[in-house]
Amino acid sequence: MSPPGGRAKGRILIGLALAIFAVALALAARPHDETNAERIDRITSELRCPVCQGLSVKDSPSQTAREMRALVEERVNEGRSDAQIQAEFRAAYGDWVLLSPPVFAWTGLVWLVPLAALAAGLALVAGRFGGAPPAPDTAAPTAGEIAMLRDRVAREESADT
Amino acid sequence: MTAALATHDFSILYVAANNARETPLFYSVISLWAALEGSILLWTLVLAGATTFVAFRSTATLPRLATTALAVLFGMVAFFLLLVTTPAADPFVRLAFPPENGRGPNALLQNHPLMALHPPLLYLGYVLFSVPFAYALSSLILGEGGDRWLVATRRFALASWALLGVGIVAGAWWSYAVLGWGGYWAWDPVENAAIMPWLTATAYLHSVMVEEKRRLLRTWNLTLVIATFALTILGTFLTRSGVVNSVHSFTQSAIGPLLLGYLVALLVLSVGLLLWRSSRLVDAGTLGAPLSRDAVFLFQNVVFMAATLTVLLGTLYPLFAEAISGAQLSIGGPYFDRVEVPLALALLFLMGVGPQLPWHGASRATLERQFTAPALAAAAGALVALASGTTGVAPVLTYALAGFVTATIVQEFARGVRARRTLHGEGGATAFANLFRRNGRRYGGYVVHFGIVLVALAVATSQARTAEAERTLAPGDTLSVGGYTVQLVALRAVHEPQRDSVVADLAIAGNGADQQLHPALVQYPNTTQAVGSPGIAAGARDDLYTILAAYDARGHAWATLRVRVIPLVSWLWAGGGVIGIGALFAALPPPRRRTVELAVAHAAAPAK
Amino acid sequence: MIGRLARAGIALALVALIVILALAFRRDPHDIRTGTVGKAAPAFTLSRLDGAGPISLSQYAGKVVVLNFWASWCVPCKQENPALVRVYERYRMSDVVIIGVLYQDSTDSGRSYVRDLGVLWPTVVDDDGRVSLSYGVFGIPETYFIGPDGVIAGRHIGPIDEQTLVTGIEAIRPAAAR
Repeated sequence: MSPPGGRAKGRILIGLALAIFAVALALAARPHDETNAERIDRITSELRCPVCQGLSVKDSPSQTAREMRALVEERVNEGRSDAQIQAEFRAAYGDWVLLSPPVFAWTGLVWLVPLAALAAGLALVAGRFGGAPPAPDTAAPTAGEIAMLRDRVAREESADT
Repeated sequence: MTAALATHDFSILYVAANNARETPLFYSVISLWAALEGSILLWTLVLAGATTFVAFRSTATLPRLATTALAVLFGMVAFFLLLVTTPAADPFVRLAFPPENGRGPNALLQNHPLMALHPPLLYLGYVLFSVPFAYALSSLILGEGGDRWLVATRRFALASWALLGVGIVAGAWWSYAVLGWGGYWAWDPVENAAIMPWLTATAYLHSVMVEEKRRLLRTWNLTLVIATFALTILGTFLTRSGVVNSVHSFTQSAIGPLLLGYLVALLVLSVGLLLWRSSRLVDAGTLGAPLSRDAVFLFQNVVFMAATLTVLLGTLYPLFAEAISGAQLSIGGPYFDRVEVPLALALLFLMGVGPQLPWHGASRATLERQFTAPALAAAAGALVALASGTTGVAPVLTYALAGFVTATIVQEFARGVRARRTLHGEGGATAFANLFRRNGRRYGGYVVHFGIVLVALAVATSQARTAEAERTLAPGDTLSVGGYTVQLVALRAVHEPQRDSVVADLAIAGNGADQQLHPALVQYPNTTQAVGSPGIAAGARDDLYTILAAYDARGHAWATLRVRVIPLVSWLWAGGGVIGIGALFAALPPPRRRTVELAVAHAAAPAK
Repeated sequence: MIGRLARAGIALALVALIVILALAFRRDPHDIRTGTVGKAAPAFTLSRLDGAGPISLSQYAGKVVVLNFWASWCVPCKQENPALVRVYERYRMSDVVIIGVLYQDSTDSGRSYVRDLGVLWPTVVDDDGRVSLSYGVFGIPETYFIGPDGVIAGRHIGPIDEQTLVTGIEAIRPAAAR
C-alpha cells in the first residue's frame, strides 16, 4: 500500500519516536535527592493508620494519623533511618502496622506468587507460538494444553492458599 | 419494603434499624440497599427479573440450552428466596413494640446522592452475570460444546461488565466525595471483591472474541465465566460476612455460612462439570503467530489473570497468615500498587497493540503502517508528562501509553470513516455515526478503551502530582497550596434535625477560582466519632479538596485544615461515563438492513 | 484429557480457599494484637489533668499499674467507668495503681468528665499522642496491665468489666501482697 519511500520515512519516524520516548523515560527515572517532606510522605504511606479501615497514615485525616505523621516528621528531622522509624512503630503495633509485608521473610510468598503466575502464564502462551508470521504452523492447541494452563494457574493458587 | 421505609414504618426491624423520622425521603427510599436484608431483597428481585427475561426472550431461539439455563437460574432464585425467609436475612421481621423512632441509616450512607447509584449498579452487574453462567453450565450439562451460548449471552455479559465497571467508578466517586481523605481507591477488601470479577469479566469479553472468530479457547472461556461468577459470590461473601476489615462492613450477620455454602455448591457443580466435559471441548483451529491479535488477546488474558490472582491473594493473605501462624499483618495500598501498576501498564500497552494487529499474524510492513502515528503519539505523551512536571517512571509511561492508545483509536476511526466515504459515498459525520450503527461492538469497544485511557490518565496524574498542605488557622488566616489561596472565614455550628455539624466557611481564590467551600465535621446521634464531610471545588484541571480535620470546640478560635489539590481527578468520573456510553454502543443490536438504509437517509439529511 | 495431577491441583486449590474462608469465621476482625504485650512498658512523664505536677511511670516501679486510656467523647469509656471505680476502691490501700490517660481530648472536657463521673485516681494528659502511640493504642477504651517488673502483662481493648480487671491485676500481683 505505501510506497517504498514512505516506508523508509515511517521507519525513521518510529525510530525517532522511540528515541524521544527513551530519553523522556530516562529523565523521569533519573535519581534525585529525596527531600525530608518526600521522605515523610514515603514512610507514612507505608504505615497503616490504626483507627481507620486500611488507610495509610499519609492519607488518613484522623487525629491518630496526624499524631503519627508528626512523630515521623520529628524522627526524620532527628536523622533517624527509615528502618529505625519503622522499627519504632512495629514495636508498638506489630507487623500489622506495615501496609506491605516484608519481602525477605516467609511473607515474601505474597510477592513471589504473582510474578510466578505471570511468568508461568506467559511461558505457556509463548510456548504455543512457533511459526513465522503470517503463516502459523504450530500444532493445534489441544484441550490438554489449555488444561495445563489452567492447571498451572490452579497450582499457583494452591501454592498460596 | 420501599413503602415501609418511605413512611417510616418502624414496626419492621429493618426500617427501625436503618431509618429515622428525620431522614429525608430520598435517603429513606435508597436505604433499601443500606443494609444486608434490603440488599438481598433487591438481589432476589433483579435475579428474578433476569430469569423472567430469559424465559420470555430466549427459549424460542435456543430451546434446549435456554431451558437448562433457566433451571440453573431458578435454582439461584430459590437460594435467595430461601435466604430471605431464613432468620439470618429476613427483611420483614416485625417488632412487637415499634419504637418511637428508628436508629437512622449509617452516617456514611446518608451523605451523598451517589449512594442511590453505586450499590444497585454493582448488584445489577453481579446478578446479570448469572445469566452467562447459567448458559455456560447449561452448555456443559447438555454437552453441547458449540459456541451458541456465547452468542446468546454476549449482551448479558457485556451489560453485567459495564454495570460493574460504572458501579465501581461510582463507588470511587462516592468514596472521594464522602469519606473525606481525598482518595477514591484504598484497596479495601470489598473494593477488591468488586474489581476481581470485573477483571475476569474483561478478560472473558476479549477472549470470547477469539472463540467466536477462531473457535479457540473453549475450555478457557468456560473457566472464565465460572471464575467470574464465583468471584461475584465471593465478593458478596466478603462484603457481608464481616470476615475482613473494611469500610464497607456496614453489616454483618449469620448469612456468611449460608453464602459460603452456596459458593461451595456452585464451585463443586461447575468445576466438576467442566472437568467431566473437558474432553468434548476441543478447539477447532490453530493459534496465530506471536504478533497477531489472537496472541495479544492471550497475553492480555494472562495479565488479567495475574492481576486477579494478585488481588485475591492480597485480600485473603492476612486471613491465611493468621490461620496458619497467628500473625497479624496487613496488605494494603503499597503492595497492590507495586504489583498492579506494572500489570495495568502492560494492559494499557496491549490495549493499543491488539486492535492494530490482524488475526493470525502481521507482516513487518503492516506493523510499520499501523504503528508510526501511535509511536509518535507515545513520544508526544511522554513529552507532555515531562512538560507538566510529572515525575516517576510509571506516570510518564502512563502518559506515553495514553498517547499511544489514543492514536490507535483515532487511527481506527479515521480509517473506518475513510472506508465508508469511499465505499458508500457518505459524508464524514454520517460515516462516523454509521460506524457505531454497523459495527457497534468494535467501535463501541474503542470508545470504552478511550474511557480507560481517561481513567488511567486521571489515576496517574492524581497519584503523582497531588499537592497537599495541613495547617491550623485562626479565622481570617490564609493558606496557599498549588496556586490556590484558602482563607478560613468563619467556623459555625449547624443544627439539623438528623445531625449536628461544625462547618468551616472557606473562601477560595487563585487559578481562576472564586468561591466558598464548606467542609464540615458532622455528628450523627447514632455514632460516637464525628464524620468528616469534605468541601470540594471540582474542575477539569484539578480539584481543590478541603477537609476540616479538627477545631477549637470551646470558642471556635482555630481550625485545622487539610487541603489537597488533586489534578485531573474529575477525568476519572468522566472516564467512567465514557466507558458506560461505549458499552452501550457495543451492546446495541445491529439494525436490519432495511432500517439501516432508512436510518442512513435520516442521518444524511440533517448532515447536509 | 485433563491429567489426574491437574484435577487434584484444581480441587486442592479450591478446597484450600474454602477452608481459609471457613476458618476466617473464627476470627474477630476487631481483635488486633498489639506489639507491646510481653515487653517493657514504655516509660513516660506526663502532666496531671488536675494540674498537680507531672507523673512518671518510673515512680511506680515495683507496683502493679493499670493504665486506662480514655476520652470524654468516648461512649464505651463511660460504660466501663463504674467498673474502674469499684476496682479503684478495692485496691485503694494496696500496691495497685490506676492511672488514666486522656486520649485525643481537651483538658476542659476531661476535667468535667472526671468531676461528673467521680474519677478519683490520677489522670495524665497525652497531649501529642506520643504515649498512646508508644503503647500501640488502637481505639479507646484500652486498658494495660503493667507488672511490678515493668513489663506489660496484658491488654484489653474495649469496655472492661470488673471481673476482667481483677483477674488481670491478680495475675501479676506479687504473692506476698495478696
